Amino acid sequence: MNNFLSALFSGVSSGAIYSLAALGLVIVWRGAGIVNFAQMGQAMFSTYIASTLIINGYSYWVGFIVAILAGAAVGALMDLLVMRPLSNKKRTELLSSESMRAAIPVIASLGILGVLQALAGIIWAAEERGFPSPVAREGLTLGDTVMPFTLYDFFVISVVLITLTITTLFFKKTSMGLAMRATALNQEVAKLSGIRTNHARTLSWAISGAASSLAGLLIAPSSTLSPTSLDLVLIIGFTAAVVGGLNSPIGAVVGGLIVGLVMSFVNFYMTPEDVYISILVLLLIVLIVKPRGIFSGKDSRRV
Amino acid sequence: MLKVENLVTRFGHVVAVDSVSISVAESKITTVIGANGAGKSTLLRTISGLEKPSSGTISWQGESIVGLRPEEIVRRGIAHVPEGHAVISELTVEENIEMGALFRRRKFKSDVPKAIDEAYQLFPRLLERRSQLAGTLSGGERQMLAISRALVSRPKLLLLDEPSLGLAPLVVEQIIDTINTLCRSTGLTVLLVEQNANTALGVADHGVLLALGKVVADRPAAELKADAALRAAYLGY
Repeated sequence: MNNFLSALFSGVSSGAIYSLAALGLVIVWRGAGIVNFAQMGQAMFSTYIASTLIINGYSYWVGFIVAILAGAAVGALMDLLVMRPLSNKKRTELLSSESMRAAIPVIASLGILGVLQALAGIIWAAEERGFPSPVAREGLTLGDTVMPFTLYDFFVISVVLITLTITTLFFKKTSMGLAMRATALNQEVAKLSGIRTNHARTLSWAISGAASSLAGLLIAPSSTLSPTSLDLVLIIGFTAAVVGGLNSPIGAVVGGLIVGLVMSFVNFYMTPEDVYISILVLLLIVLIVKPRGIFSGKDSRRV
Repeated sequence: MLKVENLVTRFGHVVAVDSVSISVAESKITTVIGANGAGKSTLLRTISGLEKPSSGTISWQGESIVGLRPEEIVRRGIAHVPEGHAVISELTVEENIEMGALFRRRKFKSDVPKAIDEAYQLFPRLLERRSQLAGTLSGGERQMLAISRALVSRPKLLLLDEPSLGLAPLVVEQIIDTINTLCRSTGLTVLLVEQNANTALGVADHGVLLALGKVVADRPAAELKADAALRAAYLGY
């Protein structure tokens, strides 16, 4: 029973983080039609910034806030410096086919991932370092019994819940949110309505950058920080996004939780070595049975 | 008010709009008719900035608007309702209408709710369905929604692309009537593209006949309607 609860809580807590990573992917996919492979590279970069601030005596929270802002800034810069110029390129010979036009930004994002990892290696040295947590990561005790969850689990779950609520309210209730949804759903109609779709797209890169940086900050205490330490989170986040449907923000959240729970239960009841295989099996099953993901509409693009 | 001169728009080697010159008079309905593939839609899409012309000029209230993005052209008072009931199916009726007024929400704060109210008065059926997703509407309702979205931007010129496409005659009549009333009562200028020449010429002041991208007739609507030879040659009836 205790094992079950432990698996449940750690699954929900890590699943919440994967939800954020998946949400970051979904926002850029919807807003710009690009699967952003550099996403967790951006997150790694901002987590390093937080780590550097904390090592130099600033509080955890200063590092936390600065990292999220840095994540938003790096996301916006990626769009302004790379993605927007790429999409404004005249249709040259190379760009004339539809599939090439779709593939080029994705390849560019892989390039950016390489650049960010190399830069982090140059700036912070490529060795692993730890990352602090703002609250205890030992099991909570009630009297003499050790509970199957930690304070950090609660911290993660509440931070993610708050973030998801704010994001949902932003998209559903504000004018800018409506402009961004319209841009994501139908660019032509959005433009004809007077919406500056370029701005909306840059903003979706910024929000995605902030969300993934938050994911990086939350996962870092459970592992170590190195230029490549978040690569696995990208793969897991991508799986979560595909499971839920790349088009659906709710799908990203549910997909993240499913993936977190599967990993956690496999870890507790089978062997830790089976964890990543289980994720790939889950991905395969979803791709075979419901290739557009659980929550996506009928006319969304397949992975 | 709107003056298009020697406009050429190409898609690769295909010349869709071939040196077209038209002018649209203020507070009047001008219609562009012609068979399928005559370049009518491309002409509208070039005016609203969705397509880039390879040569020619478009002047609006004395200023050139060639090269401006569509989102900037709407802000100058030209609203385009493209072909095929262009609404966003995944958004609600209310959101689709609001979307058209987003860019005015700061400068004209008090006028935005008024403009939205007026749209609902024009098409009360949309008010009944305001919280439904646009994708659940009938074709006619979607066309009304697309027009409302354009109207809440308070345009001076409305570009309408085949509003009758795929709609029942009764609905077409209702929509055309509404546009006509709007033009006559508020002074809205309309540029109406139609394949259904009779309907369009019946309501328009001026008519332009397009064939294979070129202007073949540019006359008062009534004259164009009466010209049986022209109709037989270019519209096939």
